[in-house]
Amino acid sequence: MFYLSYLRSELLRRKGRTILTLLGLALGVALVIVISALSRGLDQAQKTALNPLSSIGTDLTVTVQPRGLVAGSGFANRTVLTNLANLGKPGQHFARDTFSSGSQVTFPQSQAKLIEGLSGVSQISTGLTLTVQHQEGTVPKITATFKTAAKKYQVSGQTRPSAADLAKMAACFGKLRASNPQSGTGNSQSSTGGSSSQGGSLTGGFSSSETMRKCMPASMRRFRQTFTAPGQTHTQQVNTPQTNIKTSSYTIGGVDTTHTNMGLITPAQVTSGRFLSEKGGLEALVANAYASSHKLKVGSTLSLKSTRFKVVGIVQAPLGGQTADVYIPLKQLQKLAGQKNQINVLLVRATKSSAVGAVQKEIEKAYPTAQVASAKQVADQISGSLVDASNLAKSLGLALSIIAVAMAFMLAAVLTLSSIAKRVREIGTLRALGWTRRLVIRQIAGESLMQGVLGGVLGVALGIAAAAAIDAFGPTLSASSTAGGSNQGSARGAFGFGQVLTRTATSQVTLKAPLAASLILIGFALALLGGLLAGAAGALRAARLRPADALRQVE
Amino acid sequence: MAAPLYELCGATRYFELGSATIKAVDGVDLNLDAEEFVAIEGPSGSGKTTLLQLLGALDRPSSGEVHFEGRDLGELSDGELSELRLRSFGFIFQQFNLLSTLSALQNVEAGLAPLGIAAAELRERSLAMLSEVGLRDRSSHLPNQLSGGEQQRVAIARALSASPRVVLADEPTGNLDSQSGADVITLLTDLASKHRTTIIVATHDAELAAKAPRRLAMHDGRLVNGGEKSPRATAKR
Repeated sequence: MFYLSYLRSELLRRKGRTILTLLGLALGVALVIVISALSRGLDQAQKTALNPLSSIGTDLTVTVQPRGLVAGSGFANRTVLTNLANLGKPGQHFARDTFSSGSQVTFPQSQAKLIEGLSGVSQISTGLTLTVQHQEGTVPKITATFKTAAKKYQVSGQTRPSAADLAKMAACFGKLRASNPQSGTGNSQSSTGGSSSQGGSLTGGFSSSETMRKCMPASMRRFRQTFTAPGQTHTQQVNTPQTNIKTSSYTIGGVDTTHTNMGLITPAQVTSGRFLSEKGGLEALVANAYASSHKLKVGSTLSLKSTRFKVVGIVQAPLGGQTADVYIPLKQLQKLAGQKNQINVLLVRATKSSAVGAVQKEIEKAYPTAQVASAKQVADQISGSLVDASNLAKSLGLALSIIAVAMAFMLAAVLTLSSIAKRVREIGTLRALGWTRRLVIRQIAGESLMQGVLGGVLGVALGIAAAAAIDAFGPTLSASSTAGGSNQGSARGAFGFGQVLTRTATSQVTLKAPLAASLILIGFALALLGGLLAGAAGALRAARLRPADALRQVE
Repeated sequence: MAAPLYELCGATRYFELGSATIKAVDGVDLNLDAEEFVAIEGPSGSGKTTLLQLLGALDRPSSGEVHFEGRDLGELSDGELSELRLRSFGFIFQQFNLLSTLSALQNVEAGLAPLGIAAAELRERSLAMLSEVGLRDRSSHLPNQLSGGEQQRVAIARALSASPRVVLADEPTGNLDSQSGADVITLLTDLASKHRTTIIVATHDAELAAKAPRRLAMHDGRLVNGGEKSPRATAKR
């Protein structure tokens, strides 16, 4: 067929232009496919991560908020106090876990029965979500050494000689003066330690101190006194003891293992390993985000208040107020936290979806302190890159797709038109050869259509490759929801550490770009359409040319 | 007496160029008979090419009439004109106007393809035409692989492939050296007489024009020599 071989020759022998057009179309198509696949992937990711309640078989969650912030019950909103003195001997390693309920007040499990009795309620499940404050470190040594400067004490004292002593001394002096009269002149009075001015009464002129010593009574010759120094207070700053206490917190959920079709977590969320066994032993499930950040996997052990739990499964936790990082059987958690038969969350499933609103109102009426959240309300609290990406995809994806397609079409049309401009004389020649307008248009549109087909094939291949690449190296998106105290101030004692407790749960989703046949078809159709549009633009231009004008065109 | 091949009366073609009106062909009266070899002489810009385009149904006169085999070309539809160009006219251009992406053979085929004949016959007839111009062995060459003379010979093969009544050649030797120009003219005239085809050549090459039994001269769109009052034109006056 001549027309086809003409077409083939045109495309093959004008390689540069053909390749440029093909690439333009292909890129546009590939972009559309990838963007659509991404937004599909985000939609799917959202369905798994952002549909927090229905995936765990629940329509409503019921929690009780503390009445007023200050009046929070003893267990809720409590700061964790660490008394270093109680931890152990200095230098010893310690690890301890403290449980806290955030802003959710615990209530007896028996109350759940009352809600189960409400009309429209199909099933309930109980749970306990707590925050674990885990502290680990070495008990510090607290010692202080005091050193004081040397001190001099000067003691002075006096003794009063008795009348007998004085008489004796006077007698002695008299005897000595008589035996040695010269010696007593001009000598100044002197007294040695202990002698008082009372000695003045003894004046009468000692010839020498020798004389005096001889006459001194024995009690005055040697003087000794004991005394008590007054009490003293030393004040010195002691450096704060240093130690390596690490505090980390995570959320833990107590799962009612008696029924598995609904609960804080259900077997549907297990991505590897298995669900908790019905017996509720020392087993734990770990959310994938927590598992990856703490290097936990199936078979790892998790220590909680010295109790060792075996990780039996990794779960893709549904987000929402009750999402936890670690799940253990409810009974185990109640025991460890000292909350026997206490729960703080109640999951409710309505008999039918239309009854959800009525059930929510009924529970709120029956329990004014209860906070009843529906799936939508929970979803609204979720934030994170997944939500951002999803919102972005929703708002930008369509715009981007349109821009990509428009660019591809424009490129194809511009290239076709410019090639038509260059081929005006060729068109004139064809007309001179007896080609009808229809034949010329068919030929030129055929070329564009063929470019559309080839560009579509190339674009679909590119799109599939790009989607596969995204699947292979897909970025991880996370979504998180925060629940718990928000306004509490933190108290900090001398040797205590206070911390505001909020529960944040994070779910990770690997971004996928799932393709669908419809996507590929749409991409291909777009390329065809682009080719046709470009062809039509070129053909119209060509058809308007009068043969003589076309021939007159100088190359 | 048979009706003339062409009858032109007051054929005028003017172009609007801004505010100016250029009369490329200005009131030409002319009768041409079949199997004539006619040369239209004149300096460039004298309207030769436009007259050829009017004769070849590539253009319609702004006023006046162009009759071919008794049909007023101005009255025919675009499709009918295409049909005439396909079956009755063959064109040869100064620039050869070969389709650059097609081989010599394909270029000849392009002139036959709209006839709707089978691919095998198309190929056979085209090859036969290439043989007639002595280029059968170069049938797969692209235009840019051929010399100017060879390209013009391909163009001649293409113009004659559908056995037209008239071959209209616009400065066919204008881009050729004198030797290949002479060869091309010899080839053209030989083939024309063999196929009983009328040749109308627009040229300012006096040597080429001298070979034509009938010479027309144009100046400023008017036929200054060789024009004839056609019976139709006379009747109208």
